Amino acid sequence: MSYYSGKDGYLKYNGVTVAKVSNWSVSSTVETLDVTNLSSSDRAFVPGLRSSTGSATIFYYDEAAVPLLGRIIKTAAVGEPDILAIRLGWGTSKFIEGNCIITSGELNCAAGEIMQATIQFQFTGAPTSVSL
Amino acid sequence: MTIGPAFPDLVPTTRSMSPGDFASKIFRSQSGVEARVQYGNMAFNKTLDLEYSNINETDAAAIFDHYQNCKGTLYTFDLPPNPRKGNPAFDSALGGAGSTTNRFGAGAFGLRYRYAEPPQFASIKEGRMSVTIKLIGVIDS
Repeated sequence: MSYYSGKDGYLKYNGVTVAKVSNWSVSSTVETLDVTNLSSSDRAFVPGLRSSTGSATIFYYDEAAVPLLGRIIKTAAVGEPDILAIRLGWGTSKFIEGNCIITSGELNCAAGEIMQATIQFQFTGAPTSVSL
Repeated sequence: MTIGPAFPDLVPTTRSMSPGDFASKIFRSQSGVEARVQYGNMAFNKTLDLEYSNINETDAAAIFDHYQNCKGTLYTFDLPPNPRKGNPAFDSALGGAGSTTNRFGAGAFGLRYRYAEPPQFASIKEGRMSVTIKLIGVIDS
Protein backbone atom coordinates (compact mmCIF):
# COMPACT_ATOMS: atom_id res chain seq x y z
CA MET A 1 0.00 0.00 0.00
CA SER A 2 1.19 3.46 -0.74
CA TYR A 3 0.07 7.02 -1.13
CA TYR A 4 -0.07 8.59 -4.52
CA SER A 5 0.68 12.18 -5.33
CA GLY A 6 0.83 14.42 -8.34
CA LYS A 7 4.22 13.11 -9.39
CA ASP A 8 2.62 9.70 -9.97
CA GLY A 9 0.02 11.04 -12.37
CA TYR A 10 0.06 11.11 -16.13
CA LEU A 11 -2.26 11.71 -19.05
CA LYS A 12 -2.11 9.84 -22.34
CA TYR A 13 -4.04 10.30 -25.55
CA ASN A 14 -4.13 7.53 -28.13
CA GLY A 15 -1.24 5.94 -26.24
CA VAL A 16 0.99 9.02 -26.29
CA THR A 17 1.96 10.57 -22.97
CA VAL A 18 1.29 14.29 -22.69
CA ALA A 19 4.23 16.15 -21.16
CA LYS A 20 3.99 18.80 -18.47
CA VAL A 21 0.53 18.03 -17.16
CA SER A 22 -0.12 20.21 -14.15
CA ASN A 23 -3.26 18.45 -12.98
CA TRP A 24 -6.12 16.33 -14.16
CA SER A 25 -9.43 15.30 -12.70
CA VAL A 26 -12.21 12.94 -13.63
CA SER A 27 -15.80 12.74 -12.47
CA SER A 28 -18.52 10.16 -13.07
CA THR A 29 -22.17 10.66 -12.29
CA VAL A 30 -25.18 8.43 -12.75
CA GLU A 31 -28.70 9.73 -13.15
CA THR A 32 -31.40 8.25 -10.99
CA LEU A 33 -34.81 7.18 -12.26
CA ASP A 34 -37.64 7.65 -9.79
CA VAL A 35 -39.65 4.43 -9.42
CA THR A 36 -41.70 5.58 -6.44
CA ASN A 37 -45.32 4.54 -6.72
CA LEU A 38 -48.50 5.26 -4.82
CA SER A 39 -47.90 2.47 -2.30
CA SER A 40 -44.44 3.75 -1.36
CA SER A 41 -43.60 5.67 1.81
CA ASP A 42 -40.08 6.51 0.68
CA ARG A 43 -38.77 7.51 -2.68
CA ALA A 44 -37.18 4.67 -4.61
CA PHE A 45 -34.76 4.91 -7.50
CA VAL A 46 -33.01 2.77 -10.04
CA PRO A 47 -29.79 3.74 -11.82
CA GLY A 48 -30.22 5.67 -15.03
CA LEU A 49 -27.60 6.83 -17.47
CA ARG A 50 -24.00 7.39 -16.45
CA SER A 51 -21.77 10.12 -17.74
CA SER A 52 -18.13 10.87 -17.08
CA THR A 53 -16.22 14.05 -17.62
CA GLY A 54 -12.71 15.15 -16.98
CA SER A 55 -10.38 18.09 -17.17
CA ALA A 56 -6.67 18.71 -17.33
CA THR A 57 -4.31 21.63 -17.14
CA ILE A 58 -1.19 21.38 -19.26
CA PHE A 59 1.75 23.76 -19.34
CA TYR A 60 2.36 25.06 -22.83
CA TYR A 61 5.87 23.65 -22.84
CA ASP A 62 7.30 22.55 -26.14
CA GLU A 63 3.77 22.53 -27.52
CA ALA A 64 2.82 19.66 -25.20
CA ALA A 65 -0.81 20.75 -25.17
CA VAL A 66 -1.19 21.19 -28.89
CA PRO A 67 -2.39 17.67 -29.80
CA LEU A 68 -5.30 18.07 -27.40
CA LEU A 69 -6.06 21.71 -28.04
CA GLY A 70 -5.87 21.04 -31.76
CA ARG A 71 -8.92 18.79 -31.49
CA ILE A 72 -11.15 21.76 -30.78
CA ILE A 73 -9.24 24.93 -31.60
CA LYS A 74 -8.80 24.61 -35.36
CA THR A 75 -10.17 25.94 -38.59
CA ALA A 76 -11.93 22.72 -39.55
CA ALA A 77 -15.09 21.47 -37.91
CA VAL A 78 -14.85 19.09 -35.00
CA GLY A 79 -15.77 15.59 -36.09
CA GLU A 80 -15.69 11.99 -34.98
CA PRO A 81 -11.99 11.64 -35.90
CA ASP A 82 -11.35 14.07 -33.03
CA ILE A 83 -12.49 11.50 -30.47
CA LEU A 84 -9.46 10.45 -28.46
CA ALA A 85 -8.67 7.50 -26.25
CA ILE A 86 -7.63 9.30 -23.09
CA ARG A 87 -5.98 7.51 -20.20
CA LEU A 88 -5.71 9.21 -16.84
CA GLY A 89 -3.22 7.26 -14.80
CA TRP A 90 -1.35 7.23 -11.55
CA GLY A 91 1.30 4.90 -10.25
CA THR A 92 2.40 1.95 -12.30
CA SER A 93 -0.91 0.16 -12.79
CA LYS A 94 -3.74 2.55 -11.91
CA PHE A 95 -5.71 4.25 -14.65
CA ILE A 96 -9.07 5.17 -16.15
CA GLU A 97 -9.30 5.03 -19.92
CA GLY A 98 -12.07 5.85 -22.34
CA ASN A 99 -12.98 7.53 -25.58
CA CYS A 100 -13.37 11.24 -25.09
CA ILE A 101 -14.48 14.32 -26.92
CA ILE A 102 -12.62 17.49 -26.04
CA THR A 103 -15.49 19.79 -25.10
CA SER A 104 -13.52 22.81 -24.02
CA GLY A 105 -10.08 24.13 -24.73
CA GLU A 106 -8.67 27.21 -23.07
CA LEU A 107 -5.28 28.75 -23.60
CA ASN A 108 -4.04 31.25 -21.03
CA CYS A 109 -1.21 33.68 -21.47
CA ALA A 110 -0.58 36.18 -18.67
CA ALA A 111 2.31 38.40 -17.67
CA GLY A 112 4.48 36.76 -15.04
CA GLU A 113 2.90 33.35 -15.50
CA ILE A 114 3.78 30.29 -17.47
CA MET A 115 1.49 29.84 -20.42
CA GLN A 116 -0.88 26.93 -19.93
CA ALA A 117 -3.84 25.23 -21.51
CA THR A 118 -6.95 23.89 -19.83
CA ILE A 119 -9.01 21.23 -21.52
CA GLN A 120 -12.26 19.60 -20.54
CA PHE A 121 -13.45 16.37 -22.03
CA GLN A 122 -16.55 14.24 -22.09
CA PHE A 123 -16.36 10.45 -22.12
CA THR A 124 -18.45 8.88 -24.84
CA GLY A 125 -19.71 5.46 -23.85
CA ALA A 126 -18.45 3.53 -20.86
CA PRO A 127 -14.78 3.69 -19.84
CA THR A 128 -12.96 1.12 -21.95
CA SER A 129 -10.60 0.10 -19.17
CA VAL A 130 -10.40 0.85 -15.46
CA SER A 131 -7.94 -0.10 -12.76
CA LEU A 132 -8.52 1.78 -9.53
CA MET B 1 -70.47 -4.72 -23.70
CA THR B 2 -67.80 -7.33 -24.19
CA ILE B 3 -65.65 -7.77 -21.14
CA GLY B 4 -61.93 -8.03 -21.71
CA PRO B 5 -59.20 -9.37 -19.42
CA ALA B 6 -58.51 -7.65 -16.09
CA PHE B 7 -56.13 -4.72 -16.13
CA PRO B 8 -52.51 -5.53 -15.06
CA ASP B 9 -52.24 -5.37 -11.26
CA LEU B 10 -49.60 -2.61 -11.10
CA VAL B 11 -49.35 0.29 -8.64
CA PRO B 12 -49.18 3.55 -10.60
CA THR B 13 -46.80 6.42 -10.00
CA THR B 14 -49.56 9.02 -10.23
CA ARG B 15 -53.30 8.74 -10.57
CA SER B 16 -56.04 11.28 -11.10
CA MET B 17 -59.76 10.70 -11.22
CA SER B 18 -62.86 12.64 -12.13
CA PRO B 19 -66.14 11.03 -11.06
CA GLY B 20 -68.12 12.08 -14.13
CA ASP B 21 -71.60 13.57 -13.97
CA PHE B 22 -75.26 12.62 -14.13
CA ALA B 23 -77.25 13.15 -17.27
CA SER B 24 -79.36 16.25 -16.86
CA LYS B 25 -80.86 19.09 -18.78
CA ILE B 26 -80.95 22.72 -17.74
CA PHE B 27 -83.99 24.89 -18.33
CA ARG B 28 -83.43 28.59 -17.79
CA SER B 29 -86.28 31.08 -17.82
CA GLN B 30 -86.06 34.59 -19.18
CA SER B 31 -85.72 35.85 -15.61
CA GLY B 32 -82.67 33.69 -15.14
CA VAL B 33 -84.28 31.11 -12.89
CA GLU B 34 -82.66 27.77 -13.52
CA ALA B 35 -84.32 24.36 -13.32
CA ARG B 36 -82.43 21.11 -13.79
CA VAL B 37 -84.00 17.82 -14.74
CA GLN B 38 -82.12 14.66 -14.03
CA TYR B 39 -82.32 12.09 -16.81
CA GLY B 40 -80.36 9.24 -15.30
CA ASN B 41 -79.54 7.69 -11.93
CA MET B 42 -75.84 7.07 -12.61
CA ALA B 43 -72.95 9.39 -13.20
CA PHE B 44 -71.00 8.43 -16.28
CA ASN B 45 -67.83 9.37 -18.13
CA LYS B 46 -65.80 8.85 -14.99
CA THR B 47 -62.17 9.29 -15.95
CA LEU B 48 -59.13 7.66 -14.40
CA ASP B 49 -55.69 8.67 -15.58
CA LEU B 50 -52.80 6.42 -14.58
CA GLU B 51 -49.15 7.16 -15.06
CA TYR B 52 -46.47 4.52 -14.67
CA SER B 53 -43.02 6.12 -14.61
CA ASN B 54 -39.81 4.21 -15.18
CA ILE B 55 -41.41 0.78 -14.92
CA ASN B 56 -39.63 -2.26 -16.28
CA GLU B 57 -40.27 -3.39 -19.82
CA THR B 58 -42.14 -6.51 -18.72
CA ASP B 59 -44.78 -4.44 -16.95
CA ALA B 60 -45.00 -2.04 -19.89
CA ALA B 61 -45.46 -5.02 -22.19
CA ALA B 62 -48.27 -6.31 -19.96
CA ILE B 63 -50.11 -3.01 -20.41
CA PHE B 64 -49.52 -3.08 -24.14
CA ASP B 65 -50.79 -6.66 -24.36
CA HIS B 66 -53.82 -5.80 -22.26
CA TYR B 67 -54.70 -2.95 -24.60
CA GLN B 68 -54.40 -5.33 -27.55
CA ASN B 69 -56.46 -8.02 -25.84
CA CYS B 70 -59.16 -5.46 -25.11
CA LYS B 71 -59.27 -4.65 -28.81
CA GLY B 72 -58.07 -1.17 -28.04
CA THR B 73 -60.83 1.06 -26.76
CA LEU B 74 -63.55 -1.51 -27.53
CA TYR B 75 -63.80 -3.89 -24.55
CA THR B 76 -64.41 -2.94 -20.95
CA PHE B 77 -62.50 -4.50 -18.05
CA ASP B 78 -62.19 -4.69 -14.28
CA LEU B 79 -59.61 -2.77 -12.30
CA PRO B 80 -57.70 -4.98 -9.79
CA PRO B 81 -56.55 -3.64 -6.37
CA ASN B 82 -53.08 -2.28 -7.16
CA PRO B 83 -54.07 0.44 -9.66
CA ARG B 84 -56.39 1.75 -6.89
CA LYS B 85 -53.78 1.48 -4.12
CA GLY B 86 -52.39 4.36 -2.07
CA ASN B 87 -55.43 6.16 -0.62
CA PRO B 88 -56.99 3.47 1.61
CA ALA B 89 -59.56 5.74 3.30
CA PHE B 90 -60.81 6.84 -0.10
CA ASP B 91 -60.51 3.47 -1.80
CA SER B 92 -59.75 0.41 0.28
CA ALA B 93 -58.41 -1.36 -2.81
CA LEU B 94 -60.05 -4.44 -1.29
CA GLY B 95 -63.18 -6.33 -2.13
CA GLY B 96 -64.68 -6.87 -5.50
CA ALA B 97 -64.94 -4.41 -8.32
CA GLY B 98 -68.43 -3.51 -7.12
CA SER B 99 -67.46 -2.62 -3.55
CA THR B 100 -68.79 0.79 -2.54
CA THR B 101 -65.48 1.55 -0.80
CA ASN B 102 -63.72 1.43 -4.14
CA ARG B 103 -64.14 5.03 -5.20
CA PHE B 104 -61.45 4.70 -7.85
CA GLY B 105 -63.32 1.73 -9.24
CA ALA B 106 -66.22 1.64 -11.63
CA GLY B 107 -68.38 -1.35 -10.76
CA ALA B 108 -69.97 0.14 -7.63
CA PHE B 109 -71.25 3.01 -9.74
CA GLY B 110 -72.74 0.90 -12.47
CA LEU B 111 -69.83 1.63 -14.78
CA ARG B 112 -67.12 -0.31 -16.48
CA TYR B 113 -63.76 1.02 -17.50
CA ARG B 114 -62.43 0.97 -21.01
CA TYR B 115 -59.49 2.77 -22.59
CA ALA B 116 -60.44 6.33 -23.48
CA GLU B 117 -57.57 6.48 -25.94
CA PRO B 118 -54.52 4.40 -26.81
CA PRO B 119 -51.91 4.38 -24.02
CA GLN B 120 -48.66 6.25 -24.56
CA PHE B 121 -45.37 4.41 -24.18
CA ALA B 122 -42.13 6.32 -23.69
CA SER B 123 -38.72 4.66 -23.68
CA ILE B 124 -36.53 5.98 -20.87
CA LYS B 125 -33.48 3.76 -21.11
CA GLU B 126 -32.75 0.12 -21.76
CA GLY B 127 -35.08 -1.85 -19.51
CA ARG B 128 -37.17 1.13 -18.39
CA MET B 129 -40.28 2.71 -19.89
CA SER B 130 -43.01 5.10 -18.84
CA VAL B 131 -46.65 4.58 -19.73
CA THR B 132 -49.57 7.02 -19.61
CA ILE B 133 -53.08 5.58 -19.59
CA LYS B 134 -56.46 7.26 -19.80
CA LEU B 135 -59.49 5.21 -18.80
CA ILE B 136 -63.14 6.19 -19.00
CA GLY B 137 -66.00 4.68 -17.02
CA VAL B 138 -69.04 4.01 -19.19
CA ILE B 139 -72.44 2.76 -18.11
CA ASP B 140 -72.51 -1.02 -18.20
CA SER B 141 -75.27 -2.10 -20.55
